[in-house]
Amino acid sequence: MTRSGKDWRDLLFGLFLVAVSAGALFATRNLNVGHAADMGAGYMPRVVSLGLLAFGLFFCGRGVRRAGLAIEPVQWRPLLAVLAAVGVFALTAEKLGLAIASVVTIVLASFATREARLRETVPFALLLSGAAVLLFIKVLALPVPVWPR
Amino acid sequence: MDLFDNLLLGLSTALELNNLGLCLLGVLIGTAIGVLPGIGPIPTVALLLPFTFGLNPAGAMIMLAGIFYGAQYGGSTTAILVNVPGETSSVVTCIDGHEMAKQGRAGTALAIAAIASFFAGTMATIVIAVMSVPLSVLALKFTAVEYFSLLVLGLIAAVALAHGSVAKSLAMVLLGLLLGLVGIDVSSGAARMTFGIAELSDGLDFVPIAMGLFGLGEIIANLERPAERRVVSQKVRDLIPSRADLRAAFPAMLRGTALGSVLGVLPGGGAALPPFSSYALEKKLAKDPSRFGKGAIEGVAGPEAANNAGAQTSFIPLLTLGIPANALMALMIGALMMQGIQPGPQIMTEQPRLVWGVIASMWVGNLMLLVINLPLIGLWISMLKIPYRLLFPAIVLFCCIGTYGIANSLFNVWLMLGCAAIGYFFIKVGVEPAPLLLGLVLGPQLEENFRRAMLLSDGDFLVFLSRPISAVLLAVVAALLLAMLSPTILRNRKAALADSP
Repeated sequence: MTRSGKDWRDLLFGLFLVAVSAGALFATRNLNVGHAADMGAGYMPRVVSLGLLAFGLFFCGRGVRRAGLAIEPVQWRPLLAVLAAVGVFALTAEKLGLAIASVVTIVLASFATREARLRETVPFALLLSGAAVLLFIKVLALPVPVWPR
Repeated sequence: MDLFDNLLLGLSTALELNNLGLCLLGVLIGTAIGVLPGIGPIPTVALLLPFTFGLNPAGAMIMLAGIFYGAQYGGSTTAILVNVPGETSSVVTCIDGHEMAKQGRAGTALAIAAIASFFAGTMATIVIAVMSVPLSVLALKFTAVEYFSLLVLGLIAAVALAHGSVAKSLAMVLLGLLLGLVGIDVSSGAARMTFGIAELSDGLDFVPIAMGLFGLGEIIANLERPAERRVVSQKVRDLIPSRADLRAAFPAMLRGTALGSVLGVLPGGGAALPPFSSYALEKKLAKDPSRFGKGAIEGVAGPEAANNAGAQTSFIPLLTLGIPANALMALMIGALMMQGIQPGPQIMTEQPRLVWGVIASMWVGNLMLLVINLPLIGLWISMLKIPYRLLFPAIVLFCCIGTYGIANSLFNVWLMLGCAAIGYFFIKVGVEPAPLLLGLVLGPQLEENFRRAMLLSDGDFLVFLSRPISAVLLAVVAALLLAMLSPTILRNRKAALADSP
């Protein structure tokens, strides 16, 4: 691992916290804060967000000032394949039914690694899809269609 | 005499036929999870939560607890045979366990690991039973003020003993608390951070968050590293250890059990810290420390005992006070809440069948594990041959269906997707997600008790210091915070956790 002039881990985490707390402060700006003896809905969100903001600024400051280990480069293939598989499941499960959604999810997820071979993945996906339908719909009575409606 | 009655009540619950079945199912799933590297007990428990809704609370907890300590057993199998820890808690077992396997003593190592685990599990069950009664008596004195201080202590202590940077863990607790505030405010009815999304009015479901952060985020990060697994291909035989082996291992087992029982009770300790401490202790006590790393049997027996004892005693805060010691216990609390049981100091007096049933089932489960583990070792070894390229898409699919199944809501699937991306980001920037989950689960209770305490004291913050139990709890918090900031302790803590990945 290479060293870098900034601690990017601290800096990125700090920026993330600042963004989250700013978002939370904005989203709860209209809530009644009240006072300690009679707290409004906005009291705790405000206290927690301000605390988070302080941490965020602290990490940003520390990240800029000290050197740290560089972050290992992001490998897009596993990240995108897994996220896409979940997204496609969310888009298809209720419309196309569990049987088809399962096959598509498995095949997409398997693209996350170069080792996967379609000749192996497709039969495996069909098998698991069948097992999922049996387990979740027949045994556990999940109210999701098996086939497209 | 109370203790005896309670244990009897517990045993009668644990030995009910369907609870026995659930316990067996739990330990089998747990062992499988432990054996397979690449999926941990946290996403598994999250995944299985929806299936426990139909069960009674005792049955649900018995099964989930079985998964947890079953995973501790299973993890050692992989550690010894493949030199890959199935669980973080079996990292240390790799060192000498795998070395023993390479010397052709895999059978002995596996047997010692199982025996040490069983011994520790039995002793820890007794520790839990004995400690529970006085703790629950103390807990009955708790009002909102004490409970708030206890929750703060739980959160801070979990941070103090967890891996990684203290400041980052504290920030993650706050982040979790913030996420816990999402939803309709109970006392005023105002929507907080719901962004007009109807699914958010009941708050964020912690299951999709846990699955995304711990399960999918972990899978993505695993896929970036080239998989390396070399199973020791020799036949595993000689499962019965020799008298000399047992004599060498027994003192280590005893010390490991004691160490694990103490460290397990501490919040955040769970099962990760004890094995490291036990290994260090055995090495220090050994006449010839150079044997360690070359197949010393004490290096397997001690840590294995410590890790199981710790796993089990980490239930004490949950069962007596209703606060979780680690992320997994936070999921258990979630399971209880979904069953309509309000966790808190009153849990033991209000749910004796549940609490004692779970305690008794731990011993029953440990016995099952000893019996099923050694004869079935061939089955577990064959599971190790399932390639990761097939395993992980299946896990992704089951996470999707499981998350959907909690509330039949696609919103939860999208939430899990977002958390998977954030979980990957957390791994990249080197922060532990566990404190976030604790904050998320404890957040609503923390706010409620804080509000109630403030209402009672008319807004006087000093109430937390003027009540003795609360003052003691907060003094411990202050001591912990000071200790964490002091440089010497910081250095020791680094050294103690240095072996961990």
